[in-house]
Amino acid sequence: MVTQLDEELATYQAQKNNLLAKARGKFVLIKGDQIVGIFENRIDAVRQGYKNFGNVPFLTKEILEIEIPLNFTSNLIMV
Amino acid sequence: MASFTTKVSDLQANGPIVPIQLIVGAMDEDTLRLDDRNLHAPLSISAMIDTGAKRTVIRADLVNQLNLKPVGATLINTPSSTNVYCHEYLARVILPHDVIFESFVIAAPLQGQQIQCLIGRDVLRHGIFIYIGYDDSFTLSF
Repeated sequence: MVTQLDEELATYQAQKNNLLAKARGKFVLIKGDQIVGIFENRIDAVRQGYKNFGNVPFLTKEILEIEIPLNFTSNLIMV
Repeated sequence: MASFTTKVSDLQANGPIVPIQLIVGAMDEDTLRLDDRNLHAPLSISAMIDTGAKRTVIRADLVNQLNLKPVGATLINTPSSTNVYCHEYLARVILPHDVIFESFVIAAPLQGQQIQCLIGRDVLRHGIFIYIGYDDSFTLSF
């Protein structure tokens, strides 16, 4: 379903082991194939993203070994 | 404390539906102002309070109407799918009495036209939700 951030997600996966080694539990800002920075919280990562790139897609993500999906019980969601 | 009570015809069938407004996040708004770009007016939509939703979900087509850009992606499980990546957006949810929450909302297709947003526990964690089934009413307080 995700298309706009495919490149950023691929970058995250490619760099995941390095990121885990140095910044587990922190938040990464990624644009394209570039790791822009590591942040203590997500709001700071997003703020930096808007500052650097403006109103365009970018990826902020918590650096976790295993990403646990969010569960939704509503059958209104059609994915 | 801001509080509102809503009566719904057949609460069991329709669910706790509340009129809200949706607008871009504050940081996004600042960026758009700096770029001299037009801000979209808040969208008036119908939302359902959903205690089964960990996070707030908006119907995917609203993203284009507000010109939101994704700032993240998260995996979700639903009754029909598992491990689906969905975009996340920073947006403000404005409840009645101008109670405003800025949150990382998830965009996903929602069935039907009536419900355009599910208010999740990321918003409810700040308040009190009282569901009075026999009276077809509910109260939300913050």
